[in-house]
Amino acid sequence: MTNSRSKTPNLTRRGALKGLAVGTAAAALPFGAFAQQKQITLRWWSPQGSPAQVEAYKFQIAKFEALNPGIKVVFEASSDEGYAAQLAAAFSSGQVPDIVTHLPSFSVASYYSKGLVEPFDDVIKAIGADDFYPGANDVFKAPDGRYIGTGIGNSAANMLWLRKDLMQKAGITKAPETWDELRAAAQSMQGGGIYGAPLPYGRNSMTSLVFIGFIHQAGGQVFTPDLQVAIDSPETRKALEFYGSMRKLCPPGAANYSWGESLTAFVSGATATGLYAGRVLANVVKQNPSIADQITCVTYPTISKDVAPWTFNDFPSVFIPAQSKNKEAAKAFAAFLFNPEGYIKQLLAAPGHVLPVLKSIGSNPQYLEDPIIKKYNAEVQLMSSAAAGGFNLGYESKKHKSNAKGGEVVASGAIATLVQRVVLNGDNVDAALSDTAKTIEGIMKS
Amino acid sequence: MTTLSQASSVSMRAEQTRLERRYAHLGLLLIAPTVLIFSAVIVYPLISAIYMSLFSIFTPTLEGKWVGVDNYVQLLSASEFWWSLLNNLIWTVGTLTLQIVFGIGMALVLHQNIWFRSLARSLILFPYFISTVVAVLVWKWLFNDLYGILNHLMMSAGLIDMPIDYLGDMPNAMISVILVGAWKYFPFVVIAVLARLQSIPDQLYEAAKIDGAGAVARFFDVTLPQLREVLVVIVMLRAIWDFKEFDLIFLLTGGGPIISTQTLPLMVYKEAFALNQLGMASAYAVVMMAIMLFFMIVYIRKTREKSA
Repeated sequence: MTNSRSKTPNLTRRGALKGLAVGTAAAALPFGAFAQQKQITLRWWSPQGSPAQVEAYKFQIAKFEALNPGIKVVFEASSDEGYAAQLAAAFSSGQVPDIVTHLPSFSVASYYSKGLVEPFDDVIKAIGADDFYPGANDVFKAPDGRYIGTGIGNSAANMLWLRKDLMQKAGITKAPETWDELRAAAQSMQGGGIYGAPLPYGRNSMTSLVFIGFIHQAGGQVFTPDLQVAIDSPETRKALEFYGSMRKLCPPGAANYSWGESLTAFVSGATATGLYAGRVLANVVKQNPSIADQITCVTYPTISKDVAPWTFNDFPSVFIPAQSKNKEAAKAFAAFLFNPEGYIKQLLAAPGHVLPVLKSIGSNPQYLEDPIIKKYNAEVQLMSSAAAGGFNLGYESKKHKSNAKGGEVVASGAIATLVQRVVLNGDNVDAALSDTAKTIEGIMKS
Repeated sequence: MTTLSQASSVSMRAEQTRLERRYAHLGLLLIAPTVLIFSAVIVYPLISAIYMSLFSIFTPTLEGKWVGVDNYVQLLSASEFWWSLLNNLIWTVGTLTLQIVFGIGMALVLHQNIWFRSLARSLILFPYFISTVVAVLVWKWLFNDLYGILNHLMMSAGLIDMPIDYLGDMPNAMISVILVGAWKYFPFVVIAVLARLQSIPDQLYEAAKIDGAGAVARFFDVTLPQLREVLVVIVMLRAIWDFKEFDLIFLLTGGGPIISTQTLPLMVYKEAFALNQLGMASAYAVVMMAIMLFFMIVYIRKTREKSA
């Protein structure tokens, strides 16, 4: 029952000659010119598909198509909760998109380890390796030394968002730095139809990703640096205890919350604090301008001041599936996505949410002059620096090896189930943690 | 003379046999497309699923290795399978019962001479025709803890102090899923029952009235027995469809909280696309089919016995 389609395609003599001819032509031509050789349709998938972002994508597509008359690009929106299943089906059927953007780096690493992703070194070279912020591509370096993709942006996904007006009303003079301070602040701001926080307790990837942050904020880790499962630890127990104590400060529906619900809860003013990336800025300005002057953000508090903040950066990526039949055209398009005019438009479709990875864009007046970036300059700067030092399950710390199973661990829902069992169901912590550790060990061995 | 008639009889038999053979061949030829299509869309996928269930397969690459019946052993020894099966049965029985009760009730109402009967008959089909995704989105907004109309009305009326978590708490989540399922699919029962109601002879009701039967007695002694055959079919079809329902439950609760509303189809999806274990997912699908088959055989036998 082995399908080696992605590894050893059936190569006929005619096919090989054709491939050689196409490959030679592609190598001799810059990416932009290659596409003119034949009619091609590129399928582009991304889970970032807000209307403003889709508009920016359309702009980039139109520009690219104008320069490459032989290529048509079709954008297809995916979702944060659905992309894993969609890609699994796409890979197994061979009907893959030609380019995928905004997936977390750990998912790309998982796919690359199975031979499903095309190396990306030449695209990074075409974009300009020196223009990336230092270390921006480290997370995309595979154990074989090749790059599996690159970042299309940075994100600081677990910033603590605060309402200055509510803090003032509650007599809170400074942003919480520790969990105790956060709980006390949320408690004192809760009331009058406003809840303290919109933490997710749903059976979804947000709960898993956010809770991984809490484990680190307690000083723990999910894996040791050499990737042994280390989730069954006193730090995880403390994280579960704190996370459980926050339940009564969250809306009743938080047991079903994912990214969208959590964001809306803060933006609409239903919660006094929020946990999200920079999309809060644009959404508040557009949907609830009455609180636009009152919001700010800080890095999420930790168990004590001795533990450094741990920012979750999913390192939104660009990569090309190995099964794509139009790899060269896809590479040309991938490089074109970083063209300043279109890239800035894309970043400003959700200002502060996806942060630039190129130095030339970060200092570009066109980017800096955006009203939201200007108004919330301090917040954007903080998110940028937090994201630059951020981590995720594929890259838990600078000491950790790259974890190619990170995507599968998140997709399995094992960590979200742990949270639900302990916090919502009141299960025995030891038993739940032991089961979770076993599940993750099983995934690591598979 | 005898020889001649014998020869003629033999010749006639031979002709008959040739004709029978030709008819038999024609029959085979005519039935062949059906058999081929049936094999392509039913037999092949079925055998393929059973075959895949004997392997451990990584979904994105379809690479795998032979594991024999290990998937079945693992599956049957997992508590998650038994919980999911229990949830599956609760969901199926719960939603099916409500569909039948609401469906018959509404069909009886729409069978009466009421104002705007035609309009009402059309509108009643609305939940059945609407896309499940749209229906779920609407219900999720109705159930929403912060902005949902249900919580808002109940709080305004002073019935509750805090919003109810309809989808993230048990037993609320299961009750909500069952209710939404009943709302979505009861029009199917209405259509089928209404059609049968219109063909019940009025003489039966007149005779019952003459015998002194009231409205309730007429329903139980005339209407219900007349609906028996159509209800047997409805229950069988809806039980099969509800047992394998995926989208409505997945979109409403995702199987949560924890695995409280997780049914077997959700387990198949989880194994195939979240855990990337296509072999195990096939094993779940095969077991699901076996369970459905078992219940259907029992159901059909019981209803036949009652009819006899």
